[in-house]
Amino acid sequence: MGTLTAQERLAFQDSVRRLLADRSAEADVRRTMETPSGYAAELWAALADIGAVGLIVDPEHGGAGAGPLELEAVMEEVGATLLCSPLLSSGVLAAGLLQTLGDAEANARLLPRIADGSLIATAALTGPKGGWRPKDVAVRASADGAAWRLDGEASFVTHGQIAGLLLVVAEGPDGIGVFEVDPASAGVSITPLPTFDHTLRLARIEFQGAAGRRIGAPGWAPVEAALDLARVALAGEQAGGARRVLEFTVGYAKTRIQFGRAIGSYQAIKHMAADLLLESESATSAARHAAVQLAAGAPDAKAAIELAAFACADAFVKVCADAIQMHGGIAFTWNHPAHLYLRRARADAQLFGAPDFHRERFVAELEAAHG
Amino acid sequence: MADDAALPVTDESLRQEVRAWLAANWPGELHSEADRQGWMAKVVEARWAVPRWPTEWLGRDLSDAQGRIVEREFAAVGAPGTGQDRTNLWANTLLARGTHALKEKLIAPLLRGEVGMCLLYSEPGAGSDLAGIRTRADRKGDHFVVNGQKVWTSYAASADYGMLIARTDWDVPKHRGISFFFLPMKQPGVEVRPLRQITGESQFNEVFITDAICPAENLLGELGEGWGVLQTALAYERSVMGEGARGPRSGVPEGEGEPLVALAREAGVLSDPLIRQEIAKVVGLKRLNALNTARAKADLKQGTSSALMSLGKLAMSRILHEEARVRTLILGAGSLLEGPDFPRAEDANFLTLNAYFTSIGGGTDQIQRNIIGERVLGLPKEPEVDRDIPFREVRTS
Repeated sequence: MGTLTAQERLAFQDSVRRLLADRSAEADVRRTMETPSGYAAELWAALADIGAVGLIVDPEHGGAGAGPLELEAVMEEVGATLLCSPLLSSGVLAAGLLQTLGDAEANARLLPRIADGSLIATAALTGPKGGWRPKDVAVRASADGAAWRLDGEASFVTHGQIAGLLLVVAEGPDGIGVFEVDPASAGVSITPLPTFDHTLRLARIEFQGAAGRRIGAPGWAPVEAALDLARVALAGEQAGGARRVLEFTVGYAKTRIQFGRAIGSYQAIKHMAADLLLESESATSAARHAAVQLAAGAPDAKAAIELAAFACADAFVKVCADAIQMHGGIAFTWNHPAHLYLRRARADAQLFGAPDFHRERFVAELEAAHG
Repeated sequence: MADDAALPVTDESLRQEVRAWLAANWPGELHSEADRQGWMAKVVEARWAVPRWPTEWLGRDLSDAQGRIVEREFAAVGAPGTGQDRTNLWANTLLARGTHALKEKLIAPLLRGEVGMCLLYSEPGAGSDLAGIRTRADRKGDHFVVNGQKVWTSYAASADYGMLIARTDWDVPKHRGISFFFLPMKQPGVEVRPLRQITGESQFNEVFITDAICPAENLLGELGEGWGVLQTALAYERSVMGEGARGPRSGVPEGEGEPLVALAREAGVLSDPLIRQEIAKVVGLKRLNALNTARAKADLKQGTSSALMSLGKLAMSRILHEEARVRTLILGAGSLLEGPDFPRAEDANFLTLNAYFTSIGGGTDQIQRNIIGERVLGLPKEPEVDRDIPFREVRTS
């Protein structure tokens, strides 16, 4: 994955910001989140046109050839506007997994269509328990001549119900492998799951002798690498979301009058706002640092990603939760956007590992760094 | 030297000049107090102590970046004495606001480190509300007579002068009746008593001032403008203080790597999942603060002011309290003990108490949150009932 110049990155981030400000406003989010597909096809096409969908895809496969820095920056805008789209599933997780697997034939065949948005792909990574380690995989692959057959269950598959391509992580005779599965093929049964975050789509997928096509070589490492890229993306989304929520909450505290004064003049509110500023700025620092370290292939990239994963997850939830309290009654209503952010924050905090999972792995990195 | 300073100084010529001077003068180390004094005198005389200052006051009129070059060269050989234009609170305040006579008298000795100084700001009745001070300075001919009580004064016993704020006008609102002085400390009207802290240490003193004399030339800024002078001084103080706080004091080494990991390993609880979660939280907070600081510096370099600068102290308070809490968690009942035979307990307990040094000192966390809320987030100020009334009518505890 390459990296744009700082100037190109800012220009790109700005074009994404303007597109989302225009087409992913609160009314758009509310409309889209109630549709079965959970995304707006026109906006998806527009995102593909400006290069956001194929952001990390190599130019030889029709992408922008950008890296973690650009991805993190774009995701800050995505989080700020609660964009409803399969960007994380298709443009990050699936594209990232294909690129780390490095299967030339599969990449040439699949990545161009992922990059231009015409193919929505996702990765089926975990089973019904929803962990993010090899032992949590609950699909088995068995050889059937030159082909593969998949059996078992994948769950919490992001945008599984709208995907045209499934990259299924399964336990095979030679270890964990990734298998390309056509969701429309025999032996694949997809059940949409009702999600607390209405801007997200999740599915449970059962495989009964479904035909799979092996991609790349076996091993967990490519899956972990794709997960790490997705974690950096998610950290960016969380930081961007937290900043936006704090921004509108502080704005409200300046204009809402009670007892003859703006509520933001009361220390009870002001002190919460100051604490949340520390949370959201720390999340921003952590997300950007993780992107920088991952882009540089730094030895401590893993620790930086684990830190960003738990710090940004906790910060986004905390900011959203306290924002509702600071608003008071108005934010207890469905029509106020605060709960949409809290729902998204709670979903983001579970995807690809909850904060305690990342804290544990962060400590393991600390131990490893010093014998 | 004056001729040299008049020439345009390039970064390279400056670097060469500092190097040459250090090569000719720096003895490699200073063995005694006399050595140190001799060295400081040399640095001041050669105009390296305050290179960014005007030539009129022992400086060289260098840019900030060039001042850094000088500092780097001194640091490279381990020589002290330069960079005081950034770090010498006393001399900077005096240069900015002092009378010509006081500058003539004290600037050079201050830069040589020959003058002991202390701060006479806080009072028992004026902590967070510093503008509520009640120490008074009354003009009598060519001097002021000072009466009152100050607190939280470090180094008061050895100080020659104290930077003092005192009330000189009781008929105007509180911020407008304050003046700023260099009060001579070695006189009968100034009594210093050590204050014992919750840690058992005595870093601070109370200072009782009874009919002490302060020459009129020791007034900094105009009469009644002391609050503004104080802001100048506080800005210098914060820029020097911003960088952190004390760690454990037992001095017993804790092993390699992250201290909390080493401590938990030593205590045999590193495999406890709960302890591991708590360690991750604290180390995470520390790393986040370092990342915020790095981002603030990068923002500053690009010329954009940063909200992050003001968050560091609040973050540090939380880190210190949390680290102490987790150390206690790791030690369990071991934290019941103290003394030299139990250095880990000593450290955990000391840090628990000393964390308040940061969360109260230099502006409490609560005042800090007000500042962040108002100056960074733009939230309205709380109404101040004493703001526009004569100070003598202000209610006190």
